[in-house]
Amino acid sequence: MSWLRSSADLLRAKLVSFATAPKRAVVLVKRAIYDVRNGDRSVFDVAASVAMTALGFLMLLVLLFPLYWITAASLAEGTRLFNTDGIFPDPSTYNLDAYRWVIFESDFFFESGDWGYPTVALGGNGLLPVSFEWAGTDTGPGALFNSLYIVSVTIVVGFSMIVPAAYAFSRRSFIARKRILYGYVLFTQIGAGLSIATLVALYSLFSTYGLTNNLFILGLFYAAGAIPFNTWLLKTYMDNIPVSYEEAAMVDGASFLETIREIIIPLTKPGLAVILIFVWLAGWNEFIIAQTLLSPENYPLSVELYNLATEGRFSTPWTRFAAFANLFALPVAIIYFAAQRSVESGLSFGGMEG
Amino acid sequence: MASSIGTGVNQLSQLWEWIPFSKRDWGLLLVAPGMILFSAFMLYPIVFLFYISLTDATFAGSVIGGSAELIGLDNYVQLLSDSQFWTSMSTTWLFVAVSLVIKVIVAVGIALLLNHARVAGKRYMRAAVIVPLGFPAIFTITVWRGMFSDARFGVFNVVLDQYNEAVLWLGSAVDTVVFFASVSVPQALLVDVPVGFLSGRWEAFFAYVITEVWLAYPFMVIIIVSALQDVPRELHEAAKVDGAGYFHRFTTVTLPAIRRPVLFASILTGATSFQQFLIPWVFNQGGPSRQNELIIVYGYREALNFNEFGLSAAILIVAIGFVGLFMYFAVKYGRLAEGVADK
Repeated sequence: MSWLRSSADLLRAKLVSFATAPKRAVVLVKRAIYDVRNGDRSVFDVAASVAMTALGFLMLLVLLFPLYWITAASLAEGTRLFNTDGIFPDPSTYNLDAYRWVIFESDFFFESGDWGYPTVALGGNGLLPVSFEWAGTDTGPGALFNSLYIVSVTIVVGFSMIVPAAYAFSRRSFIARKRILYGYVLFTQIGAGLSIATLVALYSLFSTYGLTNNLFILGLFYAAGAIPFNTWLLKTYMDNIPVSYEEAAMVDGASFLETIREIIIPLTKPGLAVILIFVWLAGWNEFIIAQTLLSPENYPLSVELYNLATEGRFSTPWTRFAAFANLFALPVAIIYFAAQRSVESGLSFGGMEG
Repeated sequence: MASSIGTGVNQLSQLWEWIPFSKRDWGLLLVAPGMILFSAFMLYPIVFLFYISLTDATFAGSVIGGSAELIGLDNYVQLLSDSQFWTSMSTTWLFVAVSLVIKVIVAVGIALLLNHARVAGKRYMRAAVIVPLGFPAIFTITVWRGMFSDARFGVFNVVLDQYNEAVLWLGSAVDTVVFFASVSVPQALLVDVPVGFLSGRWEAFFAYVITEVWLAYPFMVIIIVSALQDVPRELHEAAKVDGAGYFHRFTTVTLPAIRRPVLFASILTGATSFQQFLIPWVFNQGGPSRQNELIIVYGYREALNFNEFGLSAAILIVAIGFVGLFMYFAVKYGRLAEGVADK
């Protein structure tokens, strides 16, 4: 569980850094005033900095406006969002009713919001002699559990295929290596749209083999779509780790597996963080294939969100939609926030610069 | 018994020698599972899609039930004479081109600003600016649809309304100052509200482009910022000492540093734009009156709304072909696969 603790530490360090930001801003301002008084910086110099910072802020406000708008909307259940008073709801009417609706009435956690708790009983005829059931709920687990199931399959299968392949591409030479890698690069960007393009064929194929309405197969499908791009991304990342590190370890008597465990894995962590996010998103966000192949009791969160958005042709229930979407995006946002630095360095594509 | 095992092993080792696979090649075994999975779920459906495109299938059942018959290239011939196909194709290319240009300008601008020495709190701003990447596409696209609402009180219509008021106020202010003549605001400066963002052809197209840019800019900004950070500070300093102005420094120091990453990001996001499905679908299903159906939407609607599976498959095969061709040239001339050949 050390990874859990280290990521919690990382998150806490981030939050502390954000919480102390105002203090550092005050120090920055004081420093600027001090410099001007001492004549180290001219007033114009400071003014230019202030102007540029203000410009940055303004740009940020414009860019993030949709998110601010929808978050404000999620707090305004029961009020009319589009009215004559402007585009923002009145802050005095803010309430959490929409979130209450998502948690206790929608299918987000449990169907119709009828909460239960898991019970484990010995016996049963599965692979393990343990059965797992939900008690205290009349309707059963909701969309979240379908989503989590799909994403776990996608991540486990995806990682077990992407990481070894990226290592092989980066460190080994074997027959057809160039051809396969070339093919992968060709297919990197054909992922998302391609699955919709092949939907027509997929639907026929899945029906023929009786694979529709199967969450496991759907998870496999998303993993398959995520393979080319993420393998290539991780391979470019691994290319930047000098081979001499492994050679030095080998000289010191480390076995092959030890070099993997002690050198490759620790040094590729940022790259692994990035592909974790991408593979997660591949399973978490897709809904068109899911909607076509699954029947309603197996719908994951993404499909529920889409259905909520298009409930009425012209009237999206904005407040509920916004609350649902915010909770839906929360896990990704947290991972993303914690791993932001890794994401940036992992996405820099090593040798791409210059 | 022992001898039969012996011959078995012997045969096996003969087979082993016959396969062009030496011990050196075991790396292939690490790659194979992913390849097999990818082929099963991605390549095989494409092949099957191509097969459907050669039949007269009308709905999923006719493909499964085997009642569809091979009709050769008839679907492709029909496609070429379909005006909707050409509308869709040209709209798609226009969409890719326009959104790409805006994307590059916006992303480079943001990246330069967030890397500028005079901006305080850059690190936090950079963290905030890529937040949209963390939200699901269906969510952001639906939110943008809400903002582009045709309604009188839709967000952009209200903003335009306020813009109109500001212009009118400015006009009356000028009118008060210029006391010797009466000044009125030229009609060209005012916007006719409410704008039907989703019910006009070009308004809807414009809305698609804005949304696409918003979806793609974080990815570009990340890549460009990390390239900018790798430019040695000394280069800028040296250029400054040599008396180069901001513009000159931009073209000689900054631009060469970000040229490759920008090209790279353009290729990737351009290929994604070409396959954009969700934006037109969620906004107005490629409307009004099928004028804005991007190529994938066109194929999807032919299959599911008009029960033309064969034709739809042909459209999608053409789309996949275009993207494949685009990626082929991009990889070849953009040196995307540079790491491929260096081993």
